[in-house]
Amino acid sequence: MTESSSNSETSPHPETIAMPRPTAWPMVLAAGVGLLALGIPTNMIFSLVGLGIIITSLYGWFGQLLTEEAEVEEPLVAPELRAKPIKPSHKRVLAATPGQRLELPEKVHPYSAGIKGGLAGGAVMAVVASMYGLFSGRGFWYPINLLAAMILPDFADNTIAELAQFSLAALIIGVVIHLATSLMVGLFFGVLLPTLPSSPVFWGGVVGPLLWSAFIYAFMGVLNPVMSQYVSWPWFIASQFAFGIVMGLVVVRSEKISAQSLTPATNRESHDG
Amino acid sequence: MAIAESGQSSASSPLVTQLHGWVTTVDHKRIGIMYILMSFFFMVVGGIEALLIRMQLWVPDNTLIGPDTFNQLFTMHGTTMIFFVVMPMLTGIANYLVPLMIGCRDVAFPRLNALGFWLSLFGGCILYTCYFTGDALYGLGSAPDVGWFAYAPLTSPAYARGGAVDYWILGTSVSGVGALTFAVNLVATILTMRAPGMKLNQVPLFVWMMLIDAWLILVAFPPLTAAQIMLILDRYAGAHFFDPQSGGSALLWQHLFWFFGHPEVYIMVLPAFGIISEIIPVFSRKVIFGYASMAAATAAIGLISLGVWAHHMFTVGLDDRLDAYFSAASFLIAIPTGIKVFNWTATLYGGRLQMRTPMLFALGFLSMFLIGGLTGIMLATVPVDWQVSDSYFLVAHFHYVLFGGSLFALMGGCYYWFPKATGKMLSEKLGLWHFWLLFIGFNLLFGPMHISGILGMPRRVYTYQAGQGWEFWNQVSTVGAFIMGFGILFFFINIAVSLRSGKKAGDDPWDAWTLEWATSSPPPSYNFEQILAVRSRRPLWDLKHPEDPDWKYE
Repeated sequence: MTESSSNSETSPHPETIAMPRPTAWPMVLAAGVGLLALGIPTNMIFSLVGLGIIITSLYGWFGQLLTEEAEVEEPLVAPELRAKPIKPSHKRVLAATPGQRLELPEKVHPYSAGIKGGLAGGAVMAVVASMYGLFSGRGFWYPINLLAAMILPDFADNTIAELAQFSLAALIIGVVIHLATSLMVGLFFGVLLPTLPSSPVFWGGVVGPLLWSAFIYAFMGVLNPVMSQYVSWPWFIASQFAFGIVMGLVVVRSEKISAQSLTPATNRESHDG
Repeated sequence: MAIAESGQSSASSPLVTQLHGWVTTVDHKRIGIMYILMSFFFMVVGGIEALLIRMQLWVPDNTLIGPDTFNQLFTMHGTTMIFFVVMPMLTGIANYLVPLMIGCRDVAFPRLNALGFWLSLFGGCILYTCYFTGDALYGLGSAPDVGWFAYAPLTSPAYARGGAVDYWILGTSVSGVGALTFAVNLVATILTMRAPGMKLNQVPLFVWMMLIDAWLILVAFPPLTAAQIMLILDRYAGAHFFDPQSGGSALLWQHLFWFFGHPEVYIMVLPAFGIISEIIPVFSRKVIFGYASMAAATAAIGLISLGVWAHHMFTVGLDDRLDAYFSAASFLIAIPTGIKVFNWTATLYGGRLQMRTPMLFALGFLSMFLIGGLTGIMLATVPVDWQVSDSYFLVAHFHYVLFGGSLFALMGGCYYWFPKATGKMLSEKLGLWHFWLLFIGFNLLFGPMHISGILGMPRRVYTYQAGQGWEFWNQVSTVGAFIMGFGILFFFINIAVSLRSGKKAGDDPWDAWTLEWATSSPPPSYNFEQILAVRSRRPLWDLKHPEDPDWKYE
């Protein structure tokens, strides 16, 4: 059915409106389909009759569509049954809410703060992890090799002594994994922190490390079975706290900017318009 | 071109004329109402089946119903409720509302839409024909007894003699084709017939969710229909698709069925999400929180729901890696669902809540669906699923999702849009009775099933021995079932009373903001005398507040 231009809001009222003509063919066709199906468990005669009805109804249906019979002019309903004009209302809904005429938070940290925080936190975390390698007597490369074992399948069968040896592949992979994770977590917190109540250092330095440690603890067996076997959890959690506190401090110390400045310029223009 | 006698058949016309008007109608609103009436009819039938099941489980070693009849009852109950109650109700509500909400006169394919309804109705009739065949008239013994998901090889000719399973296959596949025609029509309508100026990111959330819903129907139903055709070929043409002894695979049926079956859960629940997303803002007097994230979460749910089907098959012995993937994907779907729950809660937060019946049902939905969702996460955990799979814990879970979720919301929708469809308000008093009886009954019925399931009661057992700790919980459940039955009775009484002597509703009884409230109640066959131009997500707000329209901010 086509919309005529007379139906636009500026046009005068038409006396009638073209609508599809009521027709029994859909019902008849469905009955034919039903009979066709019913013939399978009962008697094929039902199916044959159903097929005949389907062909007849399709013929009738399409025949109606190809003629002027397809549409009928519906007169407008009586004036008293028509919709009342919508009058200006004095009722108000609540004031602007987040997502509706109100952007929260108004000021945010720039994305770069999250990236810097992630890098700084990652660096301090690497220092803590290396200290664990040195103090535990397992060597400087040990934590890096444990991290790289996530990707390097050969490390699964290595002994502790072998895991303490330097490996260039492990160093590259370990650094990439550590950098990527640090950046991701930093960026995530950088975006999230302005929306959270209370001190960002609390969220970044306490809640974040606890949640992250719990998550890693739960999935370490799947993500990195070697690390799961050899990791020292107290040191692991300590390094998470070091990351969180440093990352939080870096983000907090960055200068906040208006949230609107992160919106693409084209959007801002349409808002202004 | 002929001119019709009137825009709508008047109530004073002879009955035959009125019936003819309904049978030949291609008006989406009337088709929607017929879908809803069909749903109500089958709700009564499915409800009676459920009550019989609960009566049989009232005491241990009960002999009220025999094992074969019990198998038929739960098969017919499950099939009826999913294919012929929830599906038609959501289809009916969508049929009625979507064109009104997007400000158009009609759907894209009105005749195809009518065909969809009649196919659905005749599908239901075919299913229930089984009670009038074979030895049925001499003892109602010919209904299918293979469960609503009809696992192979139970459906093979060796185990399912007679035509009962055929009626299940044919009834559900014919109604499935009806669902497909509805979906094609709805997608075309939403994509091509929106009011001038209404962008896709400005349609009401109900429309958004129905769009994703229709896409899901288009993706999920064909595999089911294909599987059913394969099953018919197995039964009648000597094929062996699902016969392991002849090179087929019984698991193939499970994969094909659940590739439909899990998205089907979301097909049934997304419209409920849409209804809630319309009701909560209006009765909180606040704009929905996070429109864009709601729409995005809907799309994400639609996408992820297509990749989790094997979480219904953790106990069949799939590879551990497959189990791990399907478990993780099932967890993943909790994220967009959680976003929605958060957004609804955020909309409620700080709102001026009006505790009218639609809002009560919306809040009932929120709490029940949350419980269903949490038990769903438990079941997505493979070891837990191994422990409680096919126990009453699972029965409780999916009823919390589909009844506490879908049906609660759909009933809330009935209360919310009944004034629009009839011009009469439903009674608040009877509505309260309906809600509280349903809410209390529902929790008494399905809450204890979590416990009986953990205590080891398998689903689908027709009776149980005393001394296993199940009697008390089953009795509580049965009491709850009857309370809930009374609740449903109040719903029908409310509809009858309101149709007869309900308070006049007016065009916009809730002071709402979407386009369906801009036309009369009930709307004329052409929906709108003039097609309104739309500039924001709340076109009626813009009209009611010309000094402060939304479009300035969107």
